[in-house]
Amino acid sequence: MKQGRTSNRAPRRSTILRSPRFVFALLILLLLAGIDLGAQPPKASESEIEAVYVFKFSQFITWPGKAQARPSFDICVLGDDPFAPYLDRTIRGETVDGKTVMDRHIARPQDAQGCSILYISRSEAFHLRQILIDTREWPVLTVSDIDNFVNQGGMIQFVLQSGRVRFEVNLAPATQAGLALSSELLKVAVDVKGANAQESH
Amino acid sequence: MAATSPKLALGHFLAILILSFVQPAGFCLDADTQAGPVADTQNGDEQLKSLTLEQLGNIEVTTVTKEPEVLWRTPAAIFVITQQDIRRSGATTIPEALRLAPGVEVARISADQWAIGIRGFGSRLSRSVLVLIDGRIVYSPLTAGVYWEVQQYPMEDIDRIEVIRGPGGTIWGPNAVNGVINIITKSSKDTQGVLLSGGAGNVEQGFAEGHYGASASFAQNFTYRVYGMGFARTPEFHPEYGPRYDAWQGGQVGFRSDWSGGSRDSYTLSGDGYYQSFGENVATSSYNPPANYNLVGLAPLSGGNILWRWRRKLGEKKDLQLNAYYDRTSRHELNFGDIRNTVDVDTQYRFPLRWRQEITTGLSVYASHGREEQILTGLEFVPPIRTDTIFSGFLQDEVALLPNKLALFAGSKVLKTNYTGVLAEPSVRLLYTPSSTQTLWAAFTQAVRTPADVERDFYLASYLGPGPGGIPFFARFNANRNFQSERLNGYEAGYRRMLAAKFFVDLATFYNQYRNLLSEDLTGPIYLEPVPTPAHLLLPAEFGNGLKATSSGGEIVGEYRPKNFWRLRAWYSFLEFHVEKAPGSQDIGSAPQIQGSSPQNEVLLQTGFDLPKSITADFYVRYISKLPALSIPAYWTGDTTLGYNLTKQLRLTAVGQNLFQPSHFEFSYDPNGPVGIERSLFGKLTYRWE
Repeated sequence: MKQGRTSNRAPRRSTILRSPRFVFALLILLLLAGIDLGAQPPKASESEIEAVYVFKFSQFITWPGKAQARPSFDICVLGDDPFAPYLDRTIRGETVDGKTVMDRHIARPQDAQGCSILYISRSEAFHLRQILIDTREWPVLTVSDIDNFVNQGGMIQFVLQSGRVRFEVNLAPATQAGLALSSELLKVAVDVKGANAQESH
Repeated sequence: MAATSPKLALGHFLAILILSFVQPAGFCLDADTQAGPVADTQNGDEQLKSLTLEQLGNIEVTTVTKEPEVLWRTPAAIFVITQQDIRRSGATTIPEALRLAPGVEVARISADQWAIGIRGFGSRLSRSVLVLIDGRIVYSPLTAGVYWEVQQYPMEDIDRIEVIRGPGGTIWGPNAVNGVINIITKSSKDTQGVLLSGGAGNVEQGFAEGHYGASASFAQNFTYRVYGMGFARTPEFHPEYGPRYDAWQGGQVGFRSDWSGGSRDSYTLSGDGYYQSFGENVATSSYNPPANYNLVGLAPLSGGNILWRWRRKLGEKKDLQLNAYYDRTSRHELNFGDIRNTVDVDTQYRFPLRWRQEITTGLSVYASHGREEQILTGLEFVPPIRTDTIFSGFLQDEVALLPNKLALFAGSKVLKTNYTGVLAEPSVRLLYTPSSTQTLWAAFTQAVRTPADVERDFYLASYLGPGPGGIPFFARFNANRNFQSERLNGYEAGYRRMLAAKFFVDLATFYNQYRNLLSEDLTGPIYLEPVPTPAHLLLPAEFGNGLKATSSGGEIVGEYRPKNFWRLRAWYSFLEFHVEKAPGSQDIGSAPQIQGSSPQNEVLLQTGFDLPKSITADFYVRYISKLPALSIPAYWTGDTTLGYNLTKQLRLTAVGQNLFQPSHFEFSYDPNGPVGIERSLFGKLTYRWE
């Protein structure tokens, strides 16, 4: 049985530039990008700066005695913010009061009992009240950038002011949890609530 | 003897026979794996840490880049399926979770099989994608594909699934031709305490998973978890023809431990073992008596692996990683058996270089020893025992041409397998960040899919009927000792933008040129073959490299979070796929089958709510356009997941899948025709305690 040679020849498509769809897509991309080759100063993302802040807070706060017994200094992240990778890099190899700094992700507020700092993601905004009630008695610093965090009983809230990340403090829940915040920290905060003769160190 | 059968009918029959065993499609992957994070970041963490609180408060930030950094810094089409995405989709298996990603074709064949592809070439064997679990390659060099049914992990313990559409570039591994799927499990430090989860429904007969995690007291920073999971699924809907073959049960146990010794080193040791009873229906052929028939039954599949990883941080943006693993799989299917032992050792080293460069380089050695058991006379591997080896290395240079503005990634992978000489796979990518809220990238990559045992060693016969004079007439695919590597030239570009701090859009486009694609070639005239007895007429064929293809298209993803508790996401994927014979090819006409097995359009719309009292509600609507070669019509369907905390530790979840119809077809692979995927309803209880 003879096999005839195939006679149909495929149309030549020698370069991608002949493909109209590809050129079109490229044009759209260029248009949307708005070519701008001027040099720009290095920027950091909000999450990166918050991660560094959260780590630095540990140097300006004293935890009560029972918390000193923890084997490691845990910074816990509750919720879905893409915060963890920055925190990972920031705390690598660091220690606080001789304890290794560890970060972990927790699924429920109950898991925060062994944490020294708890960062609450925006995704948890709807459960905020319950979270703060659950953690109220524990020596855990609560930090977040959820709107009105400090007014609802959070301790440190990140705020954006003219494109810069700053923070507000509510001392009342901190005092209740047994945490002492240094005056150097309070000086930098843009607003401090709940202060009543807070001792500092 | 003159041939009497029309060539076309014969070709059609051969195609069905082959497709019942192996789906010729696209590419596969190779042994090397560098499963680390994709393009690493270039920010000055160390500089930030050295600032005072006041100085930190003076750094200008981008308006809202809360999206994962990896998306912004990667010059590739990447989509990350997070643990939250998985949990709220109701997916009970990894293939079902992959439906969330754009550009990925997920078609459920039956209760226990899926046809998966990225940007075309979707097939039962998923030959075009590199799939990794924690850095362990999970494809089989036997078929150059992935058996998705045995890639299982407790869904609650998966941290994320990174899906990269397009050739992976140098770091991911060669033969990652159409995409890379990287499944990353949670570190044991994130799975402490007890988790127990179980559920049942109409199609999901029953499933359960659980883990126990703790930290060891003998060493600081040592955590571990042990887990177990099990499932049973009923067959899906089979129209009047065909046995209900796809019942499926199995279980898996395993562990993972992580230790960070000091500030520089981290280690992971993990292992898994599984056993499944896998229902299948396969077409077979026998020389004596001359017949075609179907085998229906339960195939035992089992396997296990152990993996060790070490990472050492040597400085800023400088690290070293070493992976080693052993993997064993044992497949006793009804028509053949494959027992495989695989060992892989690979290393990756990253370091900065002057003039704002970052070099990543790696080496890998992979060896997979396979023993094929012959069960039928019409299906065999010659030789039945073979070790597939792959040696590969790669080098990538990331150059910050304009700091924080324009980066160039250039590099290549070099590999050599037991079937090939030395091959190179270069890749060059550009990443342009015109402003803090947008990114533009473009890439050109050459990728190679090296030959697999099923092309070089495989004989598959099919009985066509009585020939002239009553002599039995067979056709047979013979092993092609000269099967060459398939090749891809891939051009891609993409754009990401954050708008008004609440809306995120991600666009990716591509144009791929393939050559030397697997074809089904008739190789010569019919002749009389005396053995195996009885003597029979034989039409010889083989897998050749006689097809070529082009594909183009893109995916667009939009995410919108109008309120903190309300999230919307939608994506659309478009594929224009054209497969044809290369000039001079002896292919019988298999191109339309490949081309018409991928959908041209896919859509996903999803919305989710976080409601008071811990209630969550998620709704999904999806559309897949028709598969003309398989006579599968387009379909719309929907899923929903509702969750509620019964107590603080106990959560109830109700899931409905494929809700729009009692059943619908997604793919056709069963010798008796397509299997209807049924509307599925199930409930699940999850208990957590720490």
